[in-house]
Amino acid sequence: MGQIQISNLTIEYKLLKGEGTFKAVDNVSLTVEAGELVTVVGSSGCGKSTLLLAIAGLVETSRGSINVAGKPITGPGPDRAVVFQESSLLPWKTVLGNVRFALEMRRWSAGDLNERAMRAIQMVGLESFADYHPHQLSGGMRQRVNIARALAVDPAVLLMDEPFGALDAQTREVMGEELLRIWERDRKTALFVTHDIDEAVLLADKVVVMGRNPGHIKDVMKIDLPRPRRGDVADSAQFIEYRRRLRSHLASDMAAMHLVREAV
Amino acid sequence: MVTFVSSTAQPRPRGVGRLNPAARSTLISFLAVVVFLALWQVAPILGWVNGRFTSQPTLVVQAAIEVFTSDNFLFHARISLSEFALGFGLALIISVPFGALLGTSQIARELISPPLMALYIAPTLILLPIMVIWLGIGMASKVAVVFLGAIFPIVVNTTAGMREADQRLIRAARSFGATRMDVFRHVLIPGALPSVLAGIRLAVGRGVLGVVVGELYVSQAGIGHQLVVYGSAMRVDRLLVYALVVSVFGYALTQVVRLLESRVRDWRSE
Amino acid sequence: MAQLFLRRRALILGTLSMFAIGLLWQLSVSLGVIDVFFVSTPNLVAQEFLVQFHNGVTLRDLASTLWSFVLALGLATVVGIGLGVFAGWYQDFESALEPFIWFKYSAPTIAFYPLFIAWLGYGTPTIVAIAFLFALTPIYANTLSGIKNVDRDLVRAATSFGATRWDVFTRVALPASVPIVVAGLQLGVGRALTGVVVAELFGAQSGLGFRIAYHAQLLQTTAMMVSIVIVIVLGVILTQMLAFVESKTDAWRVESQTR
Repeated sequence: MGQIQISNLTIEYKLLKGEGTFKAVDNVSLTVEAGELVTVVGSSGCGKSTLLLAIAGLVETSRGSINVAGKPITGPGPDRAVVFQESSLLPWKTVLGNVRFALEMRRWSAGDLNERAMRAIQMVGLESFADYHPHQLSGGMRQRVNIARALAVDPAVLLMDEPFGALDAQTREVMGEELLRIWERDRKTALFVTHDIDEAVLLADKVVVMGRNPGHIKDVMKIDLPRPRRGDVADSAQFIEYRRRLRSHLASDMAAMHLVREAV
Repeated sequence: MVTFVSSTAQPRPRGVGRLNPAARSTLISFLAVVVFLALWQVAPILGWVNGRFTSQPTLVVQAAIEVFTSDNFLFHARISLSEFALGFGLALIISVPFGALLGTSQIARELISPPLMALYIAPTLILLPIMVIWLGIGMASKVAVVFLGAIFPIVVNTTAGMREADQRLIRAARSFGATRMDVFRHVLIPGALPSVLAGIRLAVGRGVLGVVVGELYVSQAGIGHQLVVYGSAMRVDRLLVYALVVSVFGYALTQVVRLLESRVRDWRSE
Repeated sequence: MAQLFLRRRALILGTLSMFAIGLLWQLSVSLGVIDVFFVSTPNLVAQEFLVQFHNGVTLRDLASTLWSFVLALGLATVVGIGLGVFAGWYQDFESALEPFIWFKYSAPTIAFYPLFIAWLGYGTPTIVAIAFLFALTPIYANTLSGIKNVDRDLVRAATSFGATRWDVFTRVALPASVPIVVAGLQLGVGRALTGVVVAELFGAQSGLGFRIAYHAQLLQTTAMMVSIVIVIVLGVILTQMLAFVESKTDAWRVESQTR
């Protein structure tokens, strides 16, 4: 139920100019157990978003396979829902309208769509804003609508592509805790892509570290912090140790990008 | 002044300058119009210009009263309005779907764009004489000219609006299982609305021009017809009244569309 | 450059389209779908074109129209940009002009055509005057907008480095508004051409518009079509030239426009 199995996945793009291909993801294998929240970190260009979009069924793969709950995926499906970084809410619909929209697209037949949508909106704490339009909401609120939309269609798998990446640091912290609170209710299988190390450790059952050129998995780190978690877990020694390990993983990539000069 | 951050650049407010910018601006506009009207009234009297050619504000007002009460004004207005409405309505019905087609189909666009753009740029009014040959000197030729003037801006803008669709919205909709038809109905069309309205606004101008020029060229009735009648008779005062009627109509209609546009534009402030 | 490739493909498809239309045109008449009186045929039009060309008529008309066009556009450019810059920089001036611009924008200039005839007589002055007014609006409006809405960030940066008001005007505002002014000129070109040809329909002794009206009175469709096609081709050529100019000034386009 909601287990993700990725086997030897390679995703190649044909280059626009000239010949040759660009390997966004190279021979990646990964298992996400049902009910796990896995975060994926890596510097820009390591293929983490591409990987997530492939699981979502929005990107074509070249080799290998992706199975969700034992079945191979062929495109977007009702078992998976995506929360994008840019809120991608229809600007002309209200909050309620946007959440409903997802249900309508999924041809949801069971019960009253409005009711279901409102429940999802309540889960993210925005019930008093149900009639607002996206442009009237702050960035954080829009992302919460995004999350509500994904929850409304009751997917087996939640895919989140740097959902808090466009928010400021403080909002990001608040949203992280919010997400934990929401997720801990149903414990859906979730994949969360981020470039924020703290976020990655805070949320995850395990952290997948990806490297670039070409995109591959460098390491998978189990996070043994007890649940339910709250923000203050970031002060624990264990957390700090996890963070240190992640930073050293990513530091080599940063140096390779000439952003940080290492003493030779 | 263009306002920017530099204390040395701000003029020190004196007298009228102490008003807030919006009020000041309105006041100056108002004063400008008053000065213009005053000059206009006075110039013929002072012999600066020949009053026969320019008339005067007071005479125009008088003529307006005469026109509205006794000159069969409604009859002519109705004719011009019908020509406009029919031509514009037809243009709307055809242009929007056609623009939608071009917006979504690459093939259609590549085939039809070149001649379409050529006609968009060309003054469609040059087809007026041929329309008269085809459709006669009655209302039909004017309807045709309005139609031709209005379709191109609407088609071009509708196409652009469809093509400029936010890819992120399309991707999000697809991620929830939207089909191509779903995307078209629920994302592309509402998303293109601002552009479509912009195209309609441009089309209004062209349409009004079409009616006027069409009727000036040849007609048996209508506002343009009256323009010719009074123009030839050098009744400048009445000519101006009819010209003003057209301006007011065009202005009012454009403002209505602008209002719709601004309501729609609120969405975009994301 | 991808741009150039696209333009070449557009050119190929364009000519293909035109060819297809020409074919359709000829066939619809040959097959009797439309009477030749109404639309003529490409064949007949081409022949008539050669006749008119050899008579020198075409060149004379073209010269007349182009001359009026250049005059009108030139005047509109100078006045439009001049007024626009002034109005953009001095709010009061803009406020004073605004009601007249609004009126000019809503009133169909051509309605005042009889007045122009009375003031300036038949012929080139009237035509230039009408086309000038036609073309003035977009050029003025765009220039105004370009100067008024110059990116505040740019201005702030310049002043922080000690730029005076004059510096800001000449080194920031003017260059930054080039793309939008060029866009206004593009619109102005179209409108100038329209203005000239439409004015010629009514009161001229030469020019393409006059030629169309002249033959229209004699119901000579073929002769009309010659001038109509020339006008369309003229429009296309002018637009292509403008697109070229626009591509050269694109580098100036400021990314974050305050709008």
